[in-house]
Amino acid sequence: MSSISALRDAHIKGLFGDHEGKNESELLRISELKDFLIVQIVKYKKSSITNKDIKIDNLNLNDETLTVHCNSKTRILWNGPNNWLLISINKEVLKEINEKLKETDFAITNLSHSRTIIQIEGKNTKEILKKGCPYNFNELKNNNCLNSVYNGMSVTIDMLEDKPDKIRIFTLRSFGESLYHSITDACLEYGYKNV
Amino acid sequence: MTQNYRLDNIGLINRDKKISFKFNGVTYFGYEGDTLASALIANGIHLIGRSFKYHRPRGFFGAGVDEPYAIVQLYRNNETEPNIKTTEQELFEGLEATSVNCWPSVNFDIGAINNFLKIFLPAGFYYKTFMWPKSFWYKIYEPFIRKAAGLGVASIEHDKERYEHKYEYCDLLIAGSGPSGLASAYAAAKNGARVILAEDKPRFGGTLLTSEVNIGNQTGKEWAENIISELKEMPNVIVKNRSQVFGYYDHNMLVMSEKLSDHLPKTKKYNPKQRLWYIRAKEVLISSGSIERPLVFGNNDTPGVMLSSAAKEYLKVYGVLVGKKPLIFTNNDSGYETAIEFKKNGVDPIILDTRKEPKSEIIDEAKKLDIQIKFSHVVVAAKGYKKVKSAEVAKISDDKNELGTLENINCDCICVSGFWTPTIHLASQSGNKTIFNKDIDAFVPGLSKQNETTLGAANGTFTLEETLKNSFDSGYELSKKITNNDNKTSSPIVMEKKSTTHDKFWCVPLPKGKTYKRFLDFQNDVAVSDIEIALKEGYRSIEHVKRYTTLGMATDQGKTSNLNGLQLVSNIENKIVPEVGHTTFRPPYTPVTIGTIVGREIGKHSKPTRKSPMHSWHEKNNAVFVDAGVWLRPRYYKIGEETLFEGSKREAKNVRANVGVCDVTTLGKIDIKGPDAAELLNRVYTNAWLKLPVGKARYGVMLREDGIVMDDGTTTRISENHYHMTTTTAQAANVLSHLEYYLQVVWPELNVNVVSTTEQWAGAAIAGPKSRDLLQKLFPNIDTSNDGLPFMGYLEAELFGVHARIFRISFSGELAYEVNVESDNGNFMWEKIMEIGKEFEIQPYGTEALSTLRIEMGHIAGSELDGRTIPYDNSLEGLVSKKKDFIGKRSLGRKAFVAEDRQKVVGVVPIDKKTSIPEGSHLVKDAKAQIPNPKLGYISASCWSVEYDNPFSLAIIKDGKNMIGQKLFAMSPLKNKTIPVEIVSSHYVDPKGERVRS
Amino acid sequence: MRSQNEFSYGGDATVKRPELNKEVSDKDWDNFVYNRKSLRGKHKELWQHISGCRQWIKVERDTATHEIFKTVKAHEDI
Repeated sequence: MSSISALRDAHIKGLFGDHEGKNESELLRISELKDFLIVQIVKYKKSSITNKDIKIDNLNLNDETLTVHCNSKTRILWNGPNNWLLISINKEVLKEINEKLKETDFAITNLSHSRTIIQIEGKNTKEILKKGCPYNFNELKNNNCLNSVYNGMSVTIDMLEDKPDKIRIFTLRSFGESLYHSITDACLEYGYKNV
Repeated sequence: MTQNYRLDNIGLINRDKKISFKFNGVTYFGYEGDTLASALIANGIHLIGRSFKYHRPRGFFGAGVDEPYAIVQLYRNNETEPNIKTTEQELFEGLEATSVNCWPSVNFDIGAINNFLKIFLPAGFYYKTFMWPKSFWYKIYEPFIRKAAGLGVASIEHDKERYEHKYEYCDLLIAGSGPSGLASAYAAAKNGARVILAEDKPRFGGTLLTSEVNIGNQTGKEWAENIISELKEMPNVIVKNRSQVFGYYDHNMLVMSEKLSDHLPKTKKYNPKQRLWYIRAKEVLISSGSIERPLVFGNNDTPGVMLSSAAKEYLKVYGVLVGKKPLIFTNNDSGYETAIEFKKNGVDPIILDTRKEPKSEIIDEAKKLDIQIKFSHVVVAAKGYKKVKSAEVAKISDDKNELGTLENINCDCICVSGFWTPTIHLASQSGNKTIFNKDIDAFVPGLSKQNETTLGAANGTFTLEETLKNSFDSGYELSKKITNNDNKTSSPIVMEKKSTTHDKFWCVPLPKGKTYKRFLDFQNDVAVSDIEIALKEGYRSIEHVKRYTTLGMATDQGKTSNLNGLQLVSNIENKIVPEVGHTTFRPPYTPVTIGTIVGREIGKHSKPTRKSPMHSWHEKNNAVFVDAGVWLRPRYYKIGEETLFEGSKREAKNVRANVGVCDVTTLGKIDIKGPDAAELLNRVYTNAWLKLPVGKARYGVMLREDGIVMDDGTTTRISENHYHMTTTTAQAANVLSHLEYYLQVVWPELNVNVVSTTEQWAGAAIAGPKSRDLLQKLFPNIDTSNDGLPFMGYLEAELFGVHARIFRISFSGELAYEVNVESDNGNFMWEKIMEIGKEFEIQPYGTEALSTLRIEMGHIAGSELDGRTIPYDNSLEGLVSKKKDFIGKRSLGRKAFVAEDRQKVVGVVPIDKKTSIPEGSHLVKDAKAQIPNPKLGYISASCWSVEYDNPFSLAIIKDGKNMIGQKLFAMSPLKNKTIPVEIVSSHYVDPKGERVRS
Repeated sequence: MRSQNEFSYGGDATVKRPELNKEVSDKDWDNFVYNRKSLRGKHKELWQHISGCRQWIKVERDTATHEIFKTVKAHEDI
């Protein structure tokens, strides 16, 4: 059975842009992330559960705006007041979510197929984001996340690491090719490698 | 040609790099670091173009952004750009340029006839002529004006360059790298602030490059170079040259245009030519300097008349002499600096000073150098047509009203200095209420509206010592406020020559009997006499005078003309200048290319595109796509050479006869969960929702508060507190915001979560009499019979191992089902449907066929839900609950909404059963009636009925319920059609709705 | 502070929707649905952060100068 990701036809491996004469470590690395579990978790207003009492894959649901609680497999992004986006490479976490978060307290919605995920790595990653998004990326640190627009498309941005920067940018699946074009176009002046 | 006006041992150009370029077809040489202007002047070229209205010869006036007329048509890398300032364009190998606004050549221009007709072409002539007779406008006047108008020629080729955008943030944005910019940047950066220093020109330093000053134990120039080197090494500083901050907007956002490649023969691959920066700064420091003010006298537009500071810049920066017999005409000490530079480089200038007995260090220096100075003297007129040959001068009385005997002085250029106009554009754009400073006779920034400070000459501070002190202080204070650091940099000792006051005099009176034209605006040919006419004709406001005379409206935006114009108006009106006020400053500070503003949003990518998971299948199968908002949807699947009409007819017929499949992924899907979910539905829909059983779908209509239908869709109860709502493609985003609004703002007590799942599920509509058979084969393990899956039923099942949702709902009016699978499996689902549907003669169908099917069934859609119709109009009154309150209910009671003859949707058939009726046509009783012909209604949607094989339309018509059977006319003035029609029921096909329930 | 293009304007925040199922006079209903003051100066209005957290907020903004004075959550009073 063939499942097809959003960028299957658009993302072609290779070196592009101004890459000649540059060491590969100087180039940006672009990849499409697939087969992730993406779940929206929303706590109902009337719920009396405290977030501290809940642990999913050993992670708390946190109240700090724009922050991510994470381990090597799972990242829980703050998406709004009492609203989280859980991203995991471990699909089993969905079972844990359904067991631990009761229907009466939480609205759980599986959004795993609704996003295109592009990962950008390299020292110029923030410069790429600055070309299309009005957020102040000078202030974006590890395990910060935010929702904004990139060239007119609503996106979620998750910063995983720095030195060099590693950032994931999510958009609605149908915008995938358009976002991919905008991102790779912005990478041309630096040179990039599609992995 | 040799560079006769180039000096050997002065200037900042690179004499190791010789550059060849062409002007008006002739090859010349210059050096790297030249502007086109400096290279042309070095080669003795002084005639650059012709003025806009009178076609008078024009030369160089300034050395930078203030240049009012030396503009050319530029050719670079097989592309051309009009109206490029020669004083800003850096020289590159192979540059080609031609003069504008002249024919056949700049030397002999036929347009100069206008100069002799100038008494018939005063200001405002555009408004007074070409009015009569009216019929002449299109054929005679307009083409003539079109040919006469304009300077350069716009290219009609596609612009192949890249232009990019960038958003950046900083603590301090400093516009200008003259002494005030450098000092404040340095002080702030040393104190830990994040600084962006933007310089318009390629070289940093501003006036420090041309003044004789010492800072500490270095020359001004050395000090500037060292500061810049240090700043470039600091990680918290971005230093940008060739970058102009051209606009100041709200909340301290400014825009800057970075020219990366205009100075190169070709843009480096993958690099942009220009980049637009959106900079949000906590604080802004405006160090934009000031522009020299011209003096106004007869024929002061003659090539060879130029700003004295420009003459000095050409000499010190480019090593070029603007003349070998210069006359300096000044009302202040600045002109002396230019004269001294000429003298030091072997040229003898003559100074005419309007003042009687000024005394200062700089005047002493000039005297020591034996420079000839005539006090209380003015230039009455420049002599020479294509170049200054001499100046007619005279002594002037103390009250500046009487001229003495006229005499002639031989000269080849007249360098004018009328003191300084601070460049306050950015401050004014930020909302700063500028004030008139009487001491310098110019406007300076006043009360700030936003976080901005103006320093140095831009603020009317003309001494270097005070400028540096203020700038170091500001840089420190502002950075301290932001970073809380306390590293203060002290201001160094400054050595500069002191000057004395200027003369409050700018416009030389005309001698008796002479009618010389005294120009204020050199590009638009606006003279003193034009301003006088405007005022005589009753124009009072400076905004009116500007527009009537076009003063300051040329490509130089009045940088050297506005203040003198203002001064003149106030003199004539006997007002003081601040009472007259200045015109509003609007961005951009100088012209910005459209490319820079557009960035990468070009062509296919001028807006984002949304594609369904099955998009590549559609592409491979010859789908012709249509834009549905930003989505691409297949309109029809083209077989062979068939037209849209043929293809969509084929597809629709096949649905009615066999089975078809349509990609309906784009329709909005909203997942609704929560204990109060049913209550929410009950409040937003017109019909009842509290008792919908699990596993059942229901059609719902949503209204706005004013009773107008907002959207329709089907909502299914998946489980007790879990619903799946669908919306139209167009309204998906609006409906989601609508629900969120009511949940967050109006009824926060409701416990409901709504989230869009449009993208989570790929959707295929399987429709037609054989759809049930197909569905059974797709899902062999479930009962898809009429009992197993009744109309408006819902089931979950596995589609060959893939989780699927099946909704028995129909938009086409045929027996139909919608299957949803998670998006990554969308293509798999579609291919399975096509494969298994083969035996049932399945064909994919697009939006055109989909439209046909629903129109002839009388199902309303977006064309009827156009923001003007209520449920009754759409024959949906049956869905309006009489028992409960809901959004929009209260408004339905409006008198117009319950009128007896209220409009309603009907069907329309042409009487000849052949002529298609254009959408938007008006329905009238009598086609021949006098205009205004009472309009009874309009055609909302048209199709070719595949059931009856004739055209069929839906229309909204007044008194719709009583119109069935009426014979009317459908009129389309746009398509020039008048069609006799008959009104029928909107439910043309299957009026009882039997097929969906079969 | 976020860029304006992440938000969508949503109307006058001082207008309170009449309760469901309660009697409302024609005049009061018309005022709720149609009539708005077009102020020059401080205006209390609704915005939705559509490209952000999807939250509705109330903002006090000067319609002439765009200066922002206050922002509160949707269900709070401004």
